[in-house]
Amino acid sequence: MIIDANDLPETEVLSADICIVGAGAVGIAMALDLIGSGLEVLLLEAGGFDREEDTQSLYVGQVADVAMHSPPDTYRERRLGGSTTTWGGRSMPFDPIDFEKRDYIAHSGWPISRADLDPFYPEANRISEAGRFAYTIETAFDHPRKAMIEGFASDNFTTNTLERFSCPTDFGRRYRHKLEAAANIRVLLHANVVHIALDSLGGRVDRLQIATLKGRRLTVRAGHVVLANGGLEATRLLLASRDVQDRGIGNQHDLVGRFYMCHVAGTIGAIQFNRSVWNGYDIADEGTYCRRRLALRPEAQRSHGVGNVIGRLHHPRITDPAHRNGVLSLLYLARMFIPYEYGKRLHGGVDVDFPTRLRHLRNVLTDIPDTVAFMLHLLRDRRLAERKFPSIVIRSKAHLYSLDFHAEQEPNPASRVSLTTETDALGLPRLMIDWRYTDRDIATVSTMLALLAGDIARSGVGRFDYAPDSVEQEMTRYGAYGGHHIGTTRMGATAREGVVDANCTVHGLANLHIAAASVFPTSSQANPTLTVIAMGLRLARHLKDRAARPLSARSPEGALS
Amino acid sequence: MSRPILVLGASGFIGRQVTAALAASGWATPIAAGRHLALGQSCLRLDITDEAALMRALDGVDDVVNCMAGAPAAMARGCKTLFRAAEASGRPMIVHLSSMAVYGDVAGPVDETAAINDSQGPYAAAKLVGERLAASYPRSVVLRLGCVYGPESKQWSGRIARLLRARRIGDLGAAGDGIANLVYVGDVAQAVLAALQTERAEGQAFNLAMAGAPTWNDYFLLFAKALGAVPITRLSERRIAFEARIMAPPLKIAEIAVRRLGLPADLVAPAIPPSLARLWRQEIILLPDKAEEILAMRWKPLAEGLAETADHI
Repeated sequence: MIIDANDLPETEVLSADICIVGAGAVGIAMALDLIGSGLEVLLLEAGGFDREEDTQSLYVGQVADVAMHSPPDTYRERRLGGSTTTWGGRSMPFDPIDFEKRDYIAHSGWPISRADLDPFYPEANRISEAGRFAYTIETAFDHPRKAMIEGFASDNFTTNTLERFSCPTDFGRRYRHKLEAAANIRVLLHANVVHIALDSLGGRVDRLQIATLKGRRLTVRAGHVVLANGGLEATRLLLASRDVQDRGIGNQHDLVGRFYMCHVAGTIGAIQFNRSVWNGYDIADEGTYCRRRLALRPEAQRSHGVGNVIGRLHHPRITDPAHRNGVLSLLYLARMFIPYEYGKRLHGGVDVDFPTRLRHLRNVLTDIPDTVAFMLHLLRDRRLAERKFPSIVIRSKAHLYSLDFHAEQEPNPASRVSLTTETDALGLPRLMIDWRYTDRDIATVSTMLALLAGDIARSGVGRFDYAPDSVEQEMTRYGAYGGHHIGTTRMGATAREGVVDANCTVHGLANLHIAAASVFPTSSQANPTLTVIAMGLRLARHLKDRAARPLSARSPEGALS
Repeated sequence: MSRPILVLGASGFIGRQVTAALAASGWATPIAAGRHLALGQSCLRLDITDEAALMRALDGVDDVVNCMAGAPAAMARGCKTLFRAAEASGRPMIVHLSSMAVYGDVAGPVDETAAINDSQGPYAAAKLVGERLAASYPRSVVLRLGCVYGPESKQWSGRIARLLRARRIGDLGAAGDGIANLVYVGDVAQAVLAALQTERAEGQAFNLAMAGAPTWNDYFLLFAKALGAVPITRLSERRIAFEARIMAPPLKIAEIAVRRLGLPADLVAPAIPPSLARLWRQEIILLPDKAEEILAMRWKPLAEGLAETADHI
């Protein structure tokens, strides 16, 4: 059932066994998993079916350095489906090394391992429509595929791991019929949580206070509350709910909002191969697009004391017409049609002068057949396709590429989000984001590039030239990689080490749980969506198991306490 | 001592398999009866609406398996004749093949106690007539079939294979989230044999569908793999709606025309009528527990069934 909070009577008190805050990737995945569980689930969504600007503007906040981080109301969508309504769909698991305590990465180490998430990844893949949970070219395909770079042998890099892509699936549109039909799920639209009220002892969530932009005030009482409203909003709600715990919920040790990580990413250098290489997509049986990358092996990470990082073969920077490529020039000239979230790393919002624009135009005109073919490909395989071709892949006839990298960030308490004194239309303090990176982050990328240059030369497949002193500039050219909000409610075995425990339950609060990327203590090379869905499914299992315990094992407070 | 068993509709896809299984059983002598059968030993050309002929066929028979298929009106008429004739000629045991269509448009797990209705149209209505007659007849077993697939299955294998190869279906997203309550044709024959031999089965109805049935999307993917028709394509809900609303009527007319003219049926591409598109969305799960318990059914693993089907195609 899907209802609108504005249609409920004023001062309505809603109750449920489990209240999930946020109907995005994680909230919807958890609700789907709880269908038929016998538990009454209330799924609160702050937005409606479509984007509404007044709702979206509740996300507005500040950033400490506009060059380093995108505005808080970008890369996030406050509506049914959440940010899956605009995501790129890149879906891959974290690596086992990401969970390990690594003495060369400060504050690393999770209280769980990859094996704890493994049972939940296949279902996360299924719900994301990212194909099978198979992430090497050998396991994902029955038949041998041609090598990414024939003749490239390296002790430092693998070329057989994959990234898979969701359609990208808009969870709201895709699963709305299931949410509507399920007898034990109620979705409440336009229901903004404005306060988490604890009981007077501060040991449990007593109720959630809900407000709508039309002035409705509602109360939710639930056996369990799951914050699945994204890393930044979960953090904001904990910090803003400070009537019982005066530093904010779960913040006794000043961890909430700290250790904020995204990823460091950029494009650098020129790789001239002396042979044809494969930088395109392989299509798996179920139709998913899979792409190989150059991944720094765990052994190399350990021996060089750097973080997890991957590289992809990429087209040259689009803004500089020296690439002489009609397709890239066309993309530059058509930049006003590309949404901010995608354009940022494509053209960087850079405006070139008139002569340069003319050179772009010349590129287009002198490369008409390729440009037309590319436009048809975009139209057929992206614009009109249900499963969209994930990115712009330009095959270089000259075997010339640049390197795109995507790297883990070291957890850093000084990188943080906090509350400002300004409030949004519902009275909730707005966020201030102060994203930082460390020398270790630069070292991770620098080391990876140096190793790659060496291995490419040594195996005789070509050469990789880049300016080592430009690494920091390139990895921060567009600031933090957008949309990945990690670390600010980190998981730790004890309250001193983390905000939530190994089950995603806030330390000291038996019925408050967080299912957002903010629980990740470290950031991996991988995009977080698939892993946070798997984490949410694991939490759903945990809640079902608790509900299924025999009566004698339950605490006196209720069936689900 | 071999039991003579009359198989009605023996020329059809399921009837042939049932007849063969009975013949191979060692304890039964099937008498195959159908409109399209050549006359021969233990074969009978029979129009089931011809009551006198049916009475003659029932003479000396212990059991009847009713695998009749056809247009809804003919099916209903046939059932009425059968049960009337059976009442008048010594009341043989009748194993009556029904369909999951009698459960209508419900979703969720469904066992044999669920209400039956004719909400799914004329086919379901005809099946309901048969069910009602069987329920008021003293000696019957009703088998409610899911989607019967396997070699020679036109509806759930042949048609699906053609649609997959033409890339007209594949990954349908929300339009393929329904449950494909598949049952291998050999398992249906096995269930008929068990129904004839299990005293406890008499007077009961059984769902026949594999346990842990896949979604239609999963079925299409697995079948496409077996056929080598991969990678499959993601198709929009709009596309399936277009198939059902715009493409299906002319294709259906062409199909009928081809049949009337006696031309090969595969001249015309298969239609995706609205009822089929609806079924692909219907999240109904036929619970097979009762058939597992009383008829001791074990379901053929889907991968095996699909491999055999693909080999045949």
